[in-house]
Amino acid sequence: MSHRFLASMSALPVVIAIALLAPVRAAGQVQSAAEATPTVKTWTVPRTPDGQPDLQGIWSNGTLTPLERPRELAGKQFFTEQEAAEYEKRVLEHNNADRRDNQDAEADVALAYNNFWYDRGTKIVPTRRTSLIVDPPDGRIPPLTPEAHKREAARAEARHGRGAADSWEDRNLGERCLTRGAPKLPGGYNNNFLILQGPGYVAILQEMIHEVRVIPLDGRPHVPQNIRQWLGDSRGHWEGNTLVVDTTDFRDEIRSNAFNCCGGAGANLHLVERFTRVDNDTINYQYTVDDPTTFTRPWTVAVPLTKTPGPIYEYACHEGNYGMVGILSGARAEEKAAEEAAKTGPR
Amino acid sequence: MQNCLRGTTFVVAKAALVAALWLGVMPTVGQAQAYKAPRTADGKPDLNGIWEALNTANWDIQDHAARMGPMVALGAAFSVPAGLGVVEGNEIPYLPAAVAKKKENSEHWLTADPEIKCYLPGVPRATYMPYPFQIFQTPQYILMAYEFAGASRTIYMNSNQKSPNDTWMGWSVGHWDGDTLVVDVTSFNDQTWFDRAGNFHSDALHVVERYTPISPDALDYEVTIEDQKVFSRPWKMRMPLYRRLEKNAQLLEYKCVEFAEELMYGPLRKQSSK
Repeated sequence: MSHRFLASMSALPVVIAIALLAPVRAAGQVQSAAEATPTVKTWTVPRTPDGQPDLQGIWSNGTLTPLERPRELAGKQFFTEQEAAEYEKRVLEHNNADRRDNQDAEADVALAYNNFWYDRGTKIVPTRRTSLIVDPPDGRIPPLTPEAHKREAARAEARHGRGAADSWEDRNLGERCLTRGAPKLPGGYNNNFLILQGPGYVAILQEMIHEVRVIPLDGRPHVPQNIRQWLGDSRGHWEGNTLVVDTTDFRDEIRSNAFNCCGGAGANLHLVERFTRVDNDTINYQYTVDDPTTFTRPWTVAVPLTKTPGPIYEYACHEGNYGMVGILSGARAEEKAAEEAAKTGPR
Repeated sequence: MQNCLRGTTFVVAKAALVAALWLGVMPTVGQAQAYKAPRTADGKPDLNGIWEALNTANWDIQDHAARMGPMVALGAAFSVPAGLGVVEGNEIPYLPAAVAKKKENSEHWLTADPEIKCYLPGVPRATYMPYPFQIFQTPQYILMAYEFAGASRTIYMNSNQKSPNDTWMGWSVGHWDGDTLVVDVTSFNDQTWFDRAGNFHSDALHVVERYTPISPDALDYEVTIEDQKVFSRPWKMRMPLYRRLEKNAQLLEYKCVEFAEELMYGPLRKQSSK
């Protein structure tokens, strides 16, 4: 099994990886994607007919690099080439859902989706950074503000006494097929995006739950603050060859999205994303999470988008959400069984 | 003509009226156009924009009188408006076996219509639901983003690729026929409907859509429906689609899953919890 993974890793475009890595500083201060990228002499950014840098096509952000730096890698911002290869091998083996080394039922259920369903990618990011978070320098989501701690405590209090599935509202937004959030972090599958540029607009289709982000470029103001949206309200503009997207007006409930980009940020989230095409097959993509009511400082994530042949498929999540019916029915059945057992009394 | 169009909305409206009359008398579609649409960089008619149908086809694609809505408490606010149908000749050629199914759907609309559960609406229904949709047009891909349910579909231009599976929104392949965008849609499942009146199809559905600009702010939308399991012959729907002219027009979210959860999962809620 690992031979297959190793074979695919040997296809790593090592030269490109090194070229991209070279100018990246270990310093905590975030550089703009454009600065962090060497100019490749033979390549100039392609342009749309109206002169915008061309970001169009189907892209994947699949990667084995975790959002936060694992604790055991504290202090280590980058892997060496050798360490990267070992890490990739280890993660691929760990993630391999075709594994059947443990025959008990629980393990089998945990591996219910076999590897066929996964499409995480097989590599870490080309910079060989050990976390997608590039700022703060420790690669971790910054501490919560005292206000956020109080809010979380109140939420926990409100949940006190509730089961894990008293109602669908106890399940996260992803399980409910409501949203996977924007930007969509790399996950187990459907890490694909279609980017199109029309006159005055950029559209980004996230394959996961077919969510489309429409980003006007005409400088119009954000929608009024009483219009809150799961994906927020985005406005874009160009800074040189970089598309900068400013998003506000999020719904506060995005806090409870296990798949959220922004680690517990809510209604006060101000998200700034930067897209810079650096070669035919790569967009350097970064976003900064700024929610002063939740985090003690802003933090920034960098995850490259890599060209992928596509196509984008339909992911009809809600329509096939038998899981939700199963979860709720299962919880009710367990309660009923417990009730019956209580009636019968101890034997 | 072009000079006149640059004038007031009155003139535009008049032009649209002329165009509509003209459409009425033309024997066939896709012939020489009186209206020449603005072009994209690759020379195709520019369909970019936010569009919306202005009719009652989502209630019933056929001719229908006004009638009482399904909920007494909603009274006049949510009853059914009358409408002239969008089906050519007003007749839908159901096979005998399918007539009963249509009637059953109609009678059990409130529990059976996929719209009520916030399911992806399929094509062509997504086009004429009472919500805007936005077209993003490029030479290789055309993306249609619908406000209802956050539905979307990608049209692959001049593609030979096939869908590996059945879908709710279909598998769309496009090409240009003169000034008309022609979209061939296949690989549907049998779960979507055409309207709240229970008009339906099977997984053999084949849809051919034709989008033709007829004025700066209107498209002619013609749809051919073919489904040998349900209909005895192909049939057509036709309607204009109008541009949303508000300066600040934008698609807003109508992620309706949360509006259908109580309906769908309510009986599975823990009794003591609210």
